[in-house]
Amino acid sequence: MILFEDVSYSYSPGRYALEHVNLDIGGAELVAILGENGAGKTTLVKHINGLLKPQSGRVTVSGADTKNSTVAALARKVGLVFQNPDHQLFAETVEKELAFALVNFAMPPDEVSRRVDWAMKEFELTQYRDRPPFMLSGGERKRLALASVLCYDPQILILDEPTTGQDSRQKIRLASLLKRLNGEGKTVLVVTHDMEFVADFIPKVVMLSKGRVIAEGSAEEILTNRELLMGASLLPPQLAELSWDLALQRPTIDLEQVVSAASKLVGGSQR
Amino acid sequence: MKVLYGFEYRRGVSVIHRIDPRSKMIYVILFTALTVYFVNPLLLLLVLSSSLPIVAISRIGSRWSQSIKGSLFFIAFIFIFNFIGIVWATGSVYDAVISGISMSIRFIALISIFSVFFLTTSPEDLTQSMVQVRIPYDYALTFNMAMRFVPTLSREAQIIMDAQKSRGLEMEKGNLIRRIKNYIPVLIPLIISSFRRAELVADAMESRAFGASKKRTSLYVLALGKRDALFILITVLSFLLLLSLRLVLGIQ
Ligand SMILES: Nc1ncnc2c1ncn2[C@@H]1O[C@H](COP(=O)(O)OP(=O)(O)OP(=O)(O)O)[C@@H](O)[C@H]1O
Ligand SMILES: [Mg+2]
Repeated sequence: MILFEDVSYSYSPGRYALEHVNLDIGGAELVAILGENGAGKTTLVKHINGLLKPQSGRVTVSGADTKNSTVAALARKVGLVFQNPDHQLFAETVEKELAFALVNFAMPPDEVSRRVDWAMKEFELTQYRDRPPFMLSGGERKRLALASVLCYDPQILILDEPTTGQDSRQKIRLASLLKRLNGEGKTVLVVTHDMEFVADFIPKVVMLSKGRVIAEGSAEEILTNRELLMGASLLPPQLAELSWDLALQRPTIDLEQVVSAASKLVGGSQR
Repeated sequence: MKVLYGFEYRRGVSVIHRIDPRSKMIYVILFTALTVYFVNPLLLLLVLSSSLPIVAISRIGSRWSQSIKGSLFFIAFIFIFNFIGIVWATGSVYDAVISGISMSIRFIALISIFSVFFLTTSPEDLTQSMVQVRIPYDYALTFNMAMRFVPTLSREAQIIMDAQKSRGLEMEKGNLIRRIKNYIPVLIPLIISSFRRAELVADAMESRAFGASKKRTSLYVLALGKRDALFILITVLSFLLLLSLRLVLGIQ
C-alpha cells in the first residue's frame, strides 16, 4: 500500500531529515510512528500525500509513484491531519469546516450533509454545529481537525499527534474509532509520543530516530526493548516498566499477563 | 518569500557583526539619504557598491545575493511602470530608459543597504541599541518582535498551505477571482494564529513580570569602541566624497 524505497530528504544542505528510509506498510494495518522530537516523523508522513517529494529514492502509494500525482489527487486517498489544528481551521462554523474537504472533492449536497452529521456525532461536536471553530477549546479544535479529514473517508488515514490535549474518554473513543476503521480495511498511521496510547491500542510500531528507521515490529516487541526506547528518548509504557521491575522473563505490555505474573510472585492466588 | 532570507539575521563573527548597531544605523541613514538625493545612474551605482565591501568582510554573500535576486522581480515592475509613466508624460524614450535604470538601481541600493544591516545585526542588539538611544522599551520590543516573527510567519504560511492542500484545496485552480478566494483558507488561520500567538506571548511575558518596574536593567550594555569610531569615520568620509560628486562636479 505505502512503500518507501531508499528515501532521503533534507530541508537544508548537509542535514538529513530523512536518510535512506525503507518502509513497507500493507493494506489494512494500524501502525504507530514513534521517535524523538525532530526525528523526521512529520517529514515522513508528508511524503505519503505528496506534500514533499523524495529528493532521492521513491515513494509509492498503491503502486503509484507520488512524483506523478498532485497533492489534491493524493488527498482523496490519503487523509492527513496536521499536528496543530490552528493551522487548518478557518471556516465560520464547525459545520462549514467539516464540509470544506467534501466540497473540494465535489461531493453532492446530500452526501456532504450526511457525512458532516456523521463526523459531528462521532467526535461529539454536534452541539457546536453553528459555532465558529476558534471559540472551541484546544481539545475540541483538535477533534474538529480530525473530524474534518475523517469525514471524507480516505483509504489511508494519517494522524499527526492526535491524542495531545485529549482527555482519556476522548482518547478511548478515538482509539475505538481507529480500530473500527482499520477493521473496515483502512490503513491507519498514527504519529505520537503517547506511549500508553500505543501500548493499549496499536499493534504495530515503526520507530524513527535522527531521520532513520531504527526499528519496526510489533508494539509488544519494541515497547519492551529498553535500549531502543532510551536511544530514541522515549518513555517506556508503565506496563513495560513494571515487567522489568518484576524481572519477568518475557517483558510484556499486556495487562493480564503482568497481573498474573505479579500475583504469582507475591504467592497469592490468581484473580 | 525567499526574499526574506536576505534580511534574516544569522549569527556571525566578523568585525561587521560586532560593530554597534548605532554605528551601522549611521551608515543606513546617510546612504539611504544618498539614494534619494542622487538621480544619475552612475552615482547611484556608486552608492550601491558601498555595501559591497561590507558584504565581503562580513561573509554574507550568499544571503545578500538572495535578497538582491528576490528584488529583481520587483525591479521588472518598477522599470516597466516608470518607463510607461515617463514616455506618457514627456514622450522621450531616452529619458524613460535612463530614469527606469536609475529607479531600478536606487531600489537595489536600498535593498542592499538594509539587507546588509539586518543580516549582520541581531534583533537583541538592535533592541538594546534602540533602548540606549532612548526609544521607549515597549516600542523597541514591538519592533524586535515584528522582525523576529517575519520568518516564523512565512514558515507558518507554508504549513497552513500544506494542511489545506491535504484537504483537497487546489490553490492554482480556477479564474482570477476563484484563485484569490482560494487564499481565504490560508489567510484566516494565519491571521488567527498570529493573534493567538501574540496573546500567548503577551500573557507569558506578563506572567514573568514584564512591566513590573519602570526602569529595566539590561544583561548586556552596548558600548561604542575603536572599531565603531573607524567604521563611522569611513562611512562619513565616503558619504562626503559621494556628496561632493554631485555638489562640486554638478552631476545630478
Ligand atoms: N520547514 C522546515 N524547514 C527546515 N527544517 C525543517 C522544516 N521542517 C522540519 N525541519 C527539520 O527537519 C527535522 C525533522 O523534522 P520533523 O518535523 O519531521 O520532526 P518530527 O519527528 O515531526 O518532530 P516532532 O516530534 O517535534 O513533531 C528537524 O530537525 C527539523 O528541524
Ligand atoms: Mg512532527
